[in-house]
Amino acid sequence: MNSTAQDEISEYVERVRAALADLPEATRAELLEDLPEHLAEIRAEDTVTLTDRLGTPEAYAAELRATAAGFVGGFPDPPKRRFEPFHTARADVMRVLGTADVRVGPVLGYPKASDFLKLLRPAWWVLRGYLAAMALAYFLDAQSYQVGLLPRIGNSTFIALVLLVGFILVSIAFGRRRFDLSRWPRLALYGGTTVLIFVAIGGFFSADSDVRDPGYSDVGYSGGGGNPYDYIQDVFVYDNQGRLVPGARLFDQDGQPIQMGNAYCNDPDTGEVSHSRSMGYPFCPDAAPFASPAPEPKPTVEPSFVDGNEPSEAPAPASASPSK
Amino acid sequence: MDTTQLLKGVLDLAVLAALRDGDGYGYDILRRLRAAGLDEVGDASVYGTLRRLFAGGFLNTYVVPSDEGPHRKYYGLNAAGHAELQRSGKVWQGFASTMDDLLRERETA
Repeated sequence: MNSTAQDEISEYVERVRAALADLPEATRAELLEDLPEHLAEIRAEDTVTLTDRLGTPEAYAAELRATAAGFVGGFPDPPKRRFEPFHTARADVMRVLGTADVRVGPVLGYPKASDFLKLLRPAWWVLRGYLAAMALAYFLDAQSYQVGLLPRIGNSTFIALVLLVGFILVSIAFGRRRFDLSRWPRLALYGGTTVLIFVAIGGFFSADSDVRDPGYSDVGYSGGGGNPYDYIQDVFVYDNQGRLVPGARLFDQDGQPIQMGNAYCNDPDTGEVSHSRSMGYPFCPDAAPFASPAPEPKPTVEPSFVDGNEPSEAPAPASASPSK
Repeated sequence: MDTTQLLKGVLDLAVLAALRDGDGYGYDILRRLRAAGLDEVGDASVYGTLRRLFAGGFLNTYVVPSDEGPHRKYYGLNAAGHAELQRSGKVWQGFASTMDDLLRERETA
């Protein structure tokens, strides 16, 4: 018998047990003692599910209760349940889901959609292990503001891989075994699963937006390895003689103009900010980092430092000059 | 009135009678009852009745390993079970003939 059938049987027994929850413990134990074996016999008879063959566990429990009346002094009817509207609503939802289950199944090529989903269980176990590791790393690792794809604590890839493999193995082992959880541990398990699903959805969309808009979160972080051209305010083009080229236009390989910097100049004397009158780069020729050499390098003429700047050592233009 | 209601009263007897011909496991007994014409009987009823009769001391039980599939728990009548089958059987036959007579009188009247 495979594990799916065992899962099905334990689940069925659990629900019968839950439906008989009001009976004295001894009576219920007596009644349910052989049920797993009995259901296993039935399950082995043919391939249909227990619910298809026997009806819902709740109906089975009701029949069992009626039949076993007089067992040990008779069974009382179950007390009126609390939260009756809640149970009714839940039953309605389950009925709709059940219908959808049967309708969608043939589209997928299975008798019921849930048959297909059951096949995906091991995949969910792996995903659950991964998500749990990611969630743990996220909560433990306070220093990283960016979540990657590995559950990193600190920067060690090795620890991340160990953590990842460990969690996945535990999750699979946990999924393979069925525990008879009582009410609160079971609710805790469901709650934890819900949290993981929310973490997964949040992480997925955050990763998606990061991939579509890379570097967004790095703007303004100097060490972030973002766009190295973020700080450029102006562009100065020098020809091979070290002369500043006025009104230069920059284009990329597609002929698109390259726009960088901002077209405002800061007057060094007055501190006034004014819009550039230049039609190209540089926007602010006065702010050139390197002075241009004299237009005609004739030794006779008095040097004309037209722009008033000292010809300080200018590495780039100076080294360019001899190459003439 | 439907068969389900009637069945409740005589399920013990039906199961005891099904075991008279030989020991059987739960599903096997269900099949015998269905084959005998009790289509309405459900699996939970048979299982619950077997548990109750066993707890009442009317049945013995043993497990038989199966080559294909799970082990099967067989139930069989013990002395008390045979005695109970006799006694209940007589009660039922008396009751049934009374009912028969009653219905026949009504019809002929």
